[in-house]
Amino acid sequence: MAKTFERGISSIPGYKELTENMSIQDLPLPSELIIPLRQHIGAPNRRLVSVGERVKAGQIIGDSDAAISAPVHTGLSGVVREIGSRMTQTGQMEDCVVIEVDPEQEKVKYTADDVSHLTKEEIVQRIKAAGIVGMGGAGFPTHIKITPQTKIEYLVLNGCECEPYLTCDHRLMLEYADEMIAGARILSRVLDNAKVIFGIEVNKQDAIDLLKEKLKNEERMEVVPLDVKYPQGAEKQLIYATTGRSVPPGKLPAEVAVVVQNVATAKAVADAVIYRKPLTERIVTLTGDAAVQPGNYRVFVGTTLAHLINSTGGLKPDVGKIIMGGPMTGWAQKSLEAPIVKACGGVIALTREQLAAAQEYYACVRCGKCVDHCPMALYPNYIGMYAELGKYKQAQEWGALDCFECGICAYVCPSRRPLIEFIRRSKRA
Amino acid sequence: MKMEKNFIVSTSPHLHSGDDVATAMKDVIIALMPVTLVACYFFKFNVPFLIMVCVLTAMFTEVLFCKLMHKKPQLSDCSAILTGLLVALSFSAATPWWLAAAATFIAIGFAKEFLGGLGWNRFNPALFGRVSVIIFAPWLTYLNNEFFYWRVSFPGIDTITQATPLTMLQMGLPLPNMGTFFFATQGGGIAESSAFALLLGGAYLLYKKHITWHIPVSMMATVFIGMALLGQHPVYHLLSGGLLLGAFFMATDWVTSPITKKGQIIFGVCIGIIVVIFRVLLAPTEGVAFAILIMNAFVPLIDRLTKRSKFGEQKTQAMLQSNISTETEVAVKN
Ligand code: SF4
Ligand code: SF4
Repeated sequence: MAKTFERGISSIPGYKELTENMSIQDLPLPSELIIPLRQHIGAPNRRLVSVGERVKAGQIIGDSDAAISAPVHTGLSGVVREIGSRMTQTGQMEDCVVIEVDPEQEKVKYTADDVSHLTKEEIVQRIKAAGIVGMGGAGFPTHIKITPQTKIEYLVLNGCECEPYLTCDHRLMLEYADEMIAGARILSRVLDNAKVIFGIEVNKQDAIDLLKEKLKNEERMEVVPLDVKYPQGAEKQLIYATTGRSVPPGKLPAEVAVVVQNVATAKAVADAVIYRKPLTERIVTLTGDAAVQPGNYRVFVGTTLAHLINSTGGLKPDVGKIIMGGPMTGWAQKSLEAPIVKACGGVIALTREQLAAAQEYYACVRCGKCVDHCPMALYPNYIGMYAELGKYKQAQEWGALDCFECGICAYVCPSRRPLIEFIRRSKRA
Repeated sequence: MKMEKNFIVSTSPHLHSGDDVATAMKDVIIALMPVTLVACYFFKFNVPFLIMVCVLTAMFTEVLFCKLMHKKPQLSDCSAILTGLLVALSFSAATPWWLAAAATFIAIGFAKEFLGGLGWNRFNPALFGRVSVIIFAPWLTYLNNEFFYWRVSFPGIDTITQATPLTMLQMGLPLPNMGTFFFATQGGGIAESSAFALLLGGAYLLYKKHITWHIPVSMMATVFIGMALLGQHPVYHLLSGGLLLGAFFMATDWVTSPITKKGQIIFGVCIGIIVVIFRVLLAPTEGVAFAILIMNAFVPLIDRLTKRSKFGEQKTQAMLQSNISTETEVAVKN
């Protein structure tokens, strides 16, 4: 029996078949990279290059002295053409370094180090220097997350990929299993040999089998198959499913002696610590019925949506919406300007037909569906009702501040109420 | 660039389950069809006529009140049609059409639109309309006199038994045999024609996941147990007096029932208790309608009292308590 958490929803179609069997492919070289100086939760970076300057592949281009921050690097060599404010995936403007990429790239050689003698501090230092952030979407600097003040018992590796459509983590687990396990081992070392649990939804049986096989002689590493249910990969829900522990509202996983890392982050950690390779590329699932060539692509951070889409056959004429991130929590794009960042795992092109025609919404009919399914056991109906009336205090009393915007309530609502919008308003108030 | 078309921009989530209110309402209407058909068999054209009167009144009232209150009428969500149908089914087939129309007018005009429209109404509109004409019966004699020459009656009405099974039970009259009673019986409200047909409809709603078992089961179980304890015939009480219609179609109304399962069970049990008290102490009929309306008023309170703790909250309290207890232990030891 696969494990799971309480509430949530298992009836969302997965749409994974579009890309789950497609191996990771390289994209043609982009002509420019637009690299946001901040790709993490925390203080912004200061730029370390100036316009006109030559940059080498792997060179650091932005950093900060603030504790919660992560440097950024360029994955390709070229010339800095511009430094300025550009549109990013969230729709917000961020300072970006625009690099005109050399058409001929010199291959950078990364050689493996013997890491067995490294101290914990040295490992954390290498992770920090490589600019590693949570690659599952959150973008929290990894070196902070793995140095909590308290003792950690479990390191949970998040291989759920519970958002519909996305398959980048699935492919990574299949094609980079050894690197990912090496990364997990390194992370566990930093956490004083915390027990490692790989949490994977059973719709990725091949990945579960592969990892079980590879880990069969490992005493402190375990694969836990999980039900296909959204949001299985949400931190608190994943911890509950794999360890049975409940993180209290407003607290971090360290409170219950657990740290969660995405599987792609673990692979990036291995690259960073063993090869001293900075985080400059990631795997992105380009998918959706309006994408001509759906697939899993290796993409340099800073590659624009336009390049990713145009170099893979473009879009079908009936395209209606372009989403960066997952379909439940991602951002709809106005244009194709935004660059891929470290935490962006998916680009989804939906057809007009797939988009709910109803733009209108109605009063709450108290059907209870949102309440039944809310993974945090909140009351989205009351939050929405009070927010609509401008009574944000009451909206918060019914749980607005504990919502992590998984999107289920709005997904199930028969009155099509924009509950996430209402919740965001209540949080800001 | 040819790519730059107008993409649709909206907030997450970008997918939707496809559920909507109209589908749910239509399914409830479908679920009411079996009992409607059985009633048509018994009372012939009187049933479709009364339903037509109520549904048309419902739609007309909805449009009228929305116009008066400067709102957009929502006929397409089918909730007005459903309310009209429910009002019709709660009457006996011999009911004069103006009475049924008056009940529908009150249901839609006052209980629904005037109190804020679908979603904001606190009382089940159909029951509110039905009960209003009972309460205002003395004044409605005026209507009866006024409209007497406008009465419409089709063949089939004469077969209606004067007493409903519940009254017969109360008066100690011989009861119809259980099988007939379960599958098809004449007497009482239109919707009392067949317990079996109502259960069929209820099963359909459960299957379609528009309702859950919590309200119907807790309500029916309470009536069953209560009547058994009081030495009355529990099965007859269960199958008559609109209890099944109330349990599956009225008390389960989304808008006017509690939001959590726990609240729904409390709601169902309380309705059951009121029904028992009403039937034993007061009138043999209409107990269900009053009981549901009374409990409708307590729904906000039930929601507040049954407010669940957020994910992780309970455990913290338990943990805090265990900490406290260990602390006291330490204190005791010292
Ligand atoms: S209230 Fe928040 S946590 Fe609950 S279902 Fe809605 S988005 Fe998810
Ligand atoms: S899902 Fe929508 S209609 Fe149903 S209770 Fe929640 S907010 Fe109200």
